[in-house]
Amino acid sequence: MSSDEGDSDMEYSDDDCGYADYYNTVDDCDIDQVDPSKSDPEYFLFECLLVEDVERLLNENVETLSSNLQITPSLAKVLLHTHGWAVQDVISKYQLDASLLLVQSRIKPPHPPSHTTTSSACGSQSSLVSKDGLEDDENQSNCPVCITASNAEVFSGLACGHKFCKDCWSMHFEVQIIQGISTGICCMAQQCDIYAPEDFVLTLLSKPSLRDKYQQFAFHDYVKSHPQLRFCPGPNCPVVIYAKEPKAKRSVCSKCKSSFCFKCGMDYHAPTDCSTIKKWLTKCADDSETANYISAHTKDCPRCHICIEKNGGCNHMQCYSCKHEFCWMCLGDWKAHGSEYYECSRYKENPNIAHESVHAQAREALKKYLHYYERWENHSKSLKLEEQTLQTIKSRINQKVMDASGTWIDWQYLLEAAMLLAKCRYSLQYTYPYAYYMEPSSRKELFEYQQAQLEAEIENLSWKVERAETTDRGDLENQMDIAEKRRTTLLKDFLEV
Amino acid sequence: MPCQPPRGLCVPFPKLLCLTVIQTTGRLAYRHLLEWARRARLELVDIRVTGPKAFRDVQVDESNMLLWHGFIVPDNPPYNKGAFRIEINFPAEYPFKPPKIHFKTKIYHPNIDEKGQVCLPIISAENWKPATKTDQVIQALVALVNDPEPEHPLRADLAEEYIKDRKKFMKNAEEFTKKHSERRPPE
Repeated sequence: MSSDEGDSDMEYSDDDCGYADYYNTVDDCDIDQVDPSKSDPEYFLFECLLVEDVERLLNENVETLSSNLQITPSLAKVLLHTHGWAVQDVISKYQLDASLLLVQSRIKPPHPPSHTTTSSACGSQSSLVSKDGLEDDENQSNCPVCITASNAEVFSGLACGHKFCKDCWSMHFEVQIIQGISTGICCMAQQCDIYAPEDFVLTLLSKPSLRDKYQQFAFHDYVKSHPQLRFCPGPNCPVVIYAKEPKAKRSVCSKCKSSFCFKCGMDYHAPTDCSTIKKWLTKCADDSETANYISAHTKDCPRCHICIEKNGGCNHMQCYSCKHEFCWMCLGDWKAHGSEYYECSRYKENPNIAHESVHAQAREALKKYLHYYERWENHSKSLKLEEQTLQTIKSRINQKVMDASGTWIDWQYLLEAAMLLAKCRYSLQYTYPYAYYMEPSSRKELFEYQQAQLEAEIENLSWKVERAETTDRGDLENQMDIAEKRRTTLLKDFLEV
Repeated sequence: MPCQPPRGLCVPFPKLLCLTVIQTTGRLAYRHLLEWARRARLELVDIRVTGPKAFRDVQVDESNMLLWHGFIVPDNPPYNKGAFRIEINFPAEYPFKPPKIHFKTKIYHPNIDEKGQVCLPIISAENWKPATKTDQVIQALVALVNDPEPEHPLRADLAEEYIKDRKKFMKNAEEFTKKHSERRPPE
């Protein structure tokens, strides 16, 4: 499978998003002997499968279970679907207490049906049923749904013993399938939650188009209940990602190139975990008014007060008018940031907040949120701006090659630097939700220290990338190395595996 | 599960929908379609004869066979001094889709909102079973009116009052019932 990774990396080594990985792979080759799963905190093995591959994979599981337990494949499917496709788990539970497993999987009723007649079975389960004319003389062949008498042979039912006529079953399935329900179809009796397995549904469904729909929906449900599988979130992309060890790591679709977190399907979000990023994104969406307020693109130069638009990703700003160098985030003098300590990623909490009024606390909470949101949003914007820088670099390289000043290969380091910058800034962006939800502690201090270090190195890198042609190549590559090391150090310490 | 007001409004199902049902079910089930439509009629007869006493004066809408009107006549205070008119709307796919219930009389109740929408799990789309009888639905509704369930409210303000200040709730609800509810039809 690791060869697969290599292959897929090679495939898109010449396009945008794969390049960063390509850079990494080269790096890994130098230290051949080191296990990448240990040295790289973001290392993740996955495969991109097509529908047929997934069907084969699921069917293998179904066959193993059905031959092991001597049950029909469709019952095996219900068991696997309700147990997250853990074949061994199901087998051991079956050997321990088969009856309990079947009851828990809603295949068998908790109490065996005392009578085969529908009406009495209904009556024993629900005290609500009154003696009414609808169920006169407990006629076995009176279907409780359509209240029509029919011959006994048109009746069928599940393990719960509730019998209904074929037409009612068929109509029930159709109405459910049209609503998108497949594996969740249950018995029609009041308060009975026994599942209708696939073979039962398919024998009673008459229309071929609905059979296809049923199978399609069921497949969808199976993939969703399988912890090792995830649909690619790309629009209309049929690919299913398979990971032997499912983790909240980055997976990239080989077909549509979507990059996402395997566990939650959202944009990749290391070092923040899935539930935290969800909370954060919901919060950001809720607070869109404040977000609007923040999204102002311009700030005044702190020295000459000329209006400055931020047109690059770098936070290290230089005023065109007075040449003053300052930090976009805090508007402080850039020199004051120093080389060893970058303070402006850290939010300084008011230590006496517990004694303040509710009003002041609310204001403090908003201030804290805005602090993190501003930085989150700022990096997201910087990423977009740096994409333009990347395009500029590409055309510059072409121009240089055309002008015969160096070969294409000579200038690739510029592209690599821009790719790495994007990768680092992406991680940095996702450190802010993480920090926002962290309780004040020494661990948070360590996190914010590392974050500040990373922030400083990334700004340095960004500054150098934007002025790449005048920067010394060795200098730039050194800076790349430092930034990437800072990034991996932070991930190693804080990305929960 | 948080309680949500039922989706969509209670309007009679368009004829077109009936046609779609026929088209999707094919000939075999078409024979049955009449029998499924018959079920609501049979249930009406049954409810009129032996149905719960707390549901009275049940009428079928003159223009729409699938629309019933009736009165809920609760036994428990603060609602036992009045009657509440409800509408039961059967979809064209009944009994494979649940009926919808609307209160036409205003009621001060944590589980029934100002628009008359009621949160009744037995007729929610997820819980609905084709074998559930209207009679059972009415019993569940009467039980809900008599004993509010503040743990899944449609009106959070009333639920809070019901839990925190029962006396005030009873007083408000009683006044509201006196003012808005209808005369109780005889048994």
